Amino acid sequence: MSNNAKKILLVEDEELIVNLLQRKLETEGYEVFVARDGIEGLEKMKKTKPDLVLLDIIMPRMGGFEVMEAMKKDKGLRDIPVIVISNSGQPVELDRARQLGARDWLIKTEFDPKEVLAKVKKQIG
Amino acid sequence: MKGNLQKEKGDEKLPEVTPREAYLALLNILEDVEEARLRAVEERNKTLAIITNFTDGLLFFDKENKLSLINPVAEEYLSVKGMEVIGKSLSDLVEFPRLKPIVGLLKKTTRIFRKEIKLEENLILEITTASVKRGEEELGILVVLHDITREKLIEKMKTDFVSLAAHQLRTPLSAIKWTLRMLLDGDLGKITKEQREFLEKTYNSNERMIGLINDLLNVTRIEEGRYLYKLTPVSFEDVVKEVIENYKDQIKKKKIKFKFIGFSRKVPKIKLDVEKIKLAISNFLDNAIRYTPERGKVIVSLQATDKEIRFSVEDSGIGVPKDQQNRLFTKFFRAANAIRTETEGSGLGLFISKNIIEAHGGKVGFKSEEGKGSTFYFTIPYKAKKRMKE
Repeated sequence: MSNNAKKILLVEDEELIVNLLQRKLETEGYEVFVARDGIEGLEKMKKTKPDLVLLDIIMPRMGGFEVMEAMKKDKGLRDIPVIVISNSGQPVELDRARQLGARDWLIKTEFDPKEVLAKVKKQIG
Repeated sequence: MKGNLQKEKGDEKLPEVTPREAYLALLNILEDVEEARLRAVEERNKTLAIITNFTDGLLFFDKENKLSLINPVAEEYLSVKGMEVIGKSLSDLVEFPRLKPIVGLLKKTTRIFRKEIKLEENLILEITTASVKRGEEELGILVVLHDITREKLIEKMKTDFVSLAAHQLRTPLSAIKWTLRMLLDGDLGKITKEQREFLEKTYNSNERMIGLINDLLNVTRIEEGRYLYKLTPVSFEDVVKEVIENYKDQIKKKKIKFKFIGFSRKVPKIKLDVEKIKLAISNFLDNAIRYTPERGKVIVSLQATDKEIRFSVEDSGIGVPKDQQNRLFTKFFRAANAIRTETEGSGLGLFISKNIIEAHGGKVGFKSEEGKGSTFYFTIPYKAKKRMKE
């Protein structure tokens, strides 16, 4: 992995999804950091300054919407692009994600890692 | 004649009685009358006791639409005292906040059957009316208020349970889907041809399971009454074409003679919940293709009148047996010949579609002959009068 590899922070509590995505993204040359809930996600975001955040909505301790709200208030974080990974895919949920500034979204049951990669590439190349 | 009668009466010989005997006889008669009166009072009290102690709320409106009776249960439900409301007409009763919705219903029609009214969070009543008659004479209208709070709660618990279970199932199913996809894409190393075949079948089974879970979630949303989301003005023909595009491969694979006939006139944009309408169209089209044998035909056509548009899909498939046609749109129902043709299927597709179309103010229907084919159609008005919204 080269030093100028793009950094992606994956905030997701479902272990298998994390394993799969991490593998897919690393194979493509991205540097991947993982957080298992919103609180850990914000901490790692400040530390690693990722180029992109992949964010789950329903997580223990702090959910994805709260993470996005906290990011909006933080000058250092507000410009990091976010792709929301939604479990329910409810229009209400997706609308909320868009309002909070998510660049893109995907529904777990309707997408797969290949399509996630395509969305990531669209955002950060 | 008249004279004769009088004469005869006059000739009747009355028995000789003493004043005392006459007095006693009169007393006897009076006692009988009194007894009859007491019996009548007793009967009336019994009837009143039944009405008073009835477990449902009862209101009786007389012919002039004035409230003439209210039992304690109804008083409690409606937070009124009998003294305040008895003798008042429908328009006077509007003043009582809890009576307002019921009066509103009665003003529209006096025939109400199992209409639900939510008076507060923990009080949902089912209202039914009965017109009370004695022989040919209309006496008035009896309004029965039945507490269904508990039934509604159980119904909600059931819906919540299905919704929760379905949501919980989605997460592991997604993980399985992603794993299989990566295995199939060779991301986790090379796989043999045989492994690929098995993995592909597993992937398809998993997709079916995801589809079923989505159907169940749709049903729970329908039952919760929050179904349509955002209505956006769109070209209906474009929406239909998009859906058809998804079925191109299947149509080709089954060598089906497919035909699409668009609108023959200019049609304005219609406000639709696009995702839901696509789902309804998909269900109709999916059934037509699924239950039509290879090399059969499927024709999708669009028509428009001044008021509405009409979507129909005609197939040369297995058809619906006559004795099962009236149950086709009910939840979980699958026709016997459909089960024989295709074991997979939740029996939810048409139920969901019907609800989607009706939420848009439209209607669904079909014509079918077993062994020959079916034509399923739905209509959507340009402007719906009443629509269900989330």
